[in-house]
Amino acid sequence: MSADLTPALVPLVLDDPARRAGALLAIDGLGKTFGSGAGQVQALSPTDLYVQEGDFLCVVGPSGCGKTTLLNLVAGFERPTAGQVRLRGQRITGPGAERGVVFQQGALFNWMTVLENVAFGPRACGVAPEAARSRARELLSMVGLDTFADKYPYQLSGGMQQRVGIARALANEPGILLMDEPFAALDQQTRELLQEEIRGIWRRERKTVLWITHSIDEALFLATHIAVMTARPGRIKAAFRSPFNAADDPLIASTPAFTTAKRQIIELLRGESRQAQAQESAA
Amino acid sequence: MSATRPEVSAVEALDEDTLHRREDRRDRWLTVGTFASLLGLWAAVTGSGLWEPLIKPLFLPSPVAVWEALLRLIEQGYQGRSLGHHVGVSFQRFATAFSACVVIGVPLGLLMGMHRPTRAVLEPPIQAIRPIPKLALLPLFLIWFGIGNLSKIVVIAAPVFPLIAISAMQAVRSVSTRKIQAAQALGASAWVVFWRVVLPASLPGIFTGIRVSISLGVTMLVGAELTATSDGIAWMALTAAEYLSTDIVLVGVLIMATMGYSLDRLVRAIETRVVHWSGKD
Repeated sequence: MSADLTPALVPLVLDDPARRAGALLAIDGLGKTFGSGAGQVQALSPTDLYVQEGDFLCVVGPSGCGKTTLLNLVAGFERPTAGQVRLRGQRITGPGAERGVVFQQGALFNWMTVLENVAFGPRACGVAPEAARSRARELLSMVGLDTFADKYPYQLSGGMQQRVGIARALANEPGILLMDEPFAALDQQTRELLQEEIRGIWRRERKTVLWITHSIDEALFLATHIAVMTARPGRIKAAFRSPFNAADDPLIASTPAFTTAKRQIIELLRGESRQAQAQESAA
Repeated sequence: MSATRPEVSAVEALDEDTLHRREDRRDRWLTVGTFASLLGLWAAVTGSGLWEPLIKPLFLPSPVAVWEALLRLIEQGYQGRSLGHHVGVSFQRFATAFSACVVIGVPLGLLMGMHRPTRAVLEPPIQAIRPIPKLALLPLFLIWFGIGNLSKIVVIAAPVFPLIAISAMQAVRSVSTRKIQAAQALGASAWVVFWRVVLPASLPGIFTGIRVSISLGVTMLVGAELTATSDGIAWMALTAAEYLSTDIVLVGVLIMATMGYSLDRLVRAIETRVVHWSGKD
């Protein structure tokens, strides 16, 4: 029993030169400030973060902590005001097919069938229509939606729509998957089911994933690495290596070790949110 | 687990479908009922030859009298020209103005939505022109474009064009950023983003603009045929009023109403076929 109570999370040094050296995704001094003058808001204070090939990195933090800004910068939807992001050494200057993005909801194209949605990426990248469609069929059967290929996204449930979104993002065989709270709008049961599925996909395909979430449970369940972010200004407060991702027990969340790890993160975040609230009421 | 899902949702979908069909049928009967009651009320207050009319035929002829006027017009025409000619001329004026507005206004609105400099140049003047009552410009249009068909087409197009262009622009601007970002992250070029994401996502808004402008265009027909013409269905109604031929006025009004209503139904039918995703976000 006592063995379970030892901290399961191994602290990670963010700017560890060893991690930095072989990083697939290198985030160096990345910062974003919106507005100018008195109305200036620092959404993300200069941040270093390195993601190794095959890592499943969850960035966890409360809403408004800048984690979505971080993802938007990596995706190339926004331009940084400080630092840079590099993927395989290449500096990111805009959106690109080598980074697959999955959004929370509402990003599917309702005027295309599910199959056309998934085939969109390969088609846009110049793959012949037939080849793109057969690739899309493969991915749809991987996420268990092969019988829904000819439906339109709005005819599907929220959970199925997210599966389509994941299949679509995988269709270009991106070097990294960027997920912006993809399951946040789903109900608990669907969410847990999809979490298990995505972990299964990750184990099989060994995709590198950058996953944004506000759910500590989700981060502990899925991630090999966890970065904890706090608000105002958004910054990474601590990072860990997490062991639960490798567990086969679907009920891992009810083990003492998991609870201890969760506590550790909650305590990190609580101090910060109190501080943020105090700042807010003072302002 | 995913194998059991299709059946569950199929059953749910079936139930919802029958429910919707039942509601649709009920709504259709209610609509028919409304028209029937209006016709009944009209017949009642005008007597229809069965009893003393409550309202004198000079002010409101009975449905029977209007029907007879219609038959007479079909048989004899109006002022030397067949009824078909009058309807045809009016429809042609409307259709020319309307298609010109769609063909020019929609692409221009799309461009204004996509391209900020174009919007900065074109939106303020279009917005400034919108509140001007276009009928007030009729004398000016007659001077500028002559007494032929062109001035009539311009009068109809004057309020329709800004409406269609602005609604297309707004449709583009309200396309969700997420969908555009999703397309970009899938490797789509600006061209592909426009054709396969922005344009289809804007279509529902464009259709709404087109449908709203139909009734506006039909209304402007009256203005267009107010002067400097000797044919057209609105002209027929206007001149008949001068001779107090209320039955002919009503025939003209009903023909215009039918024209507007059928065009609206037509566009709506096209809309439900083309933009089946409308309102599904």
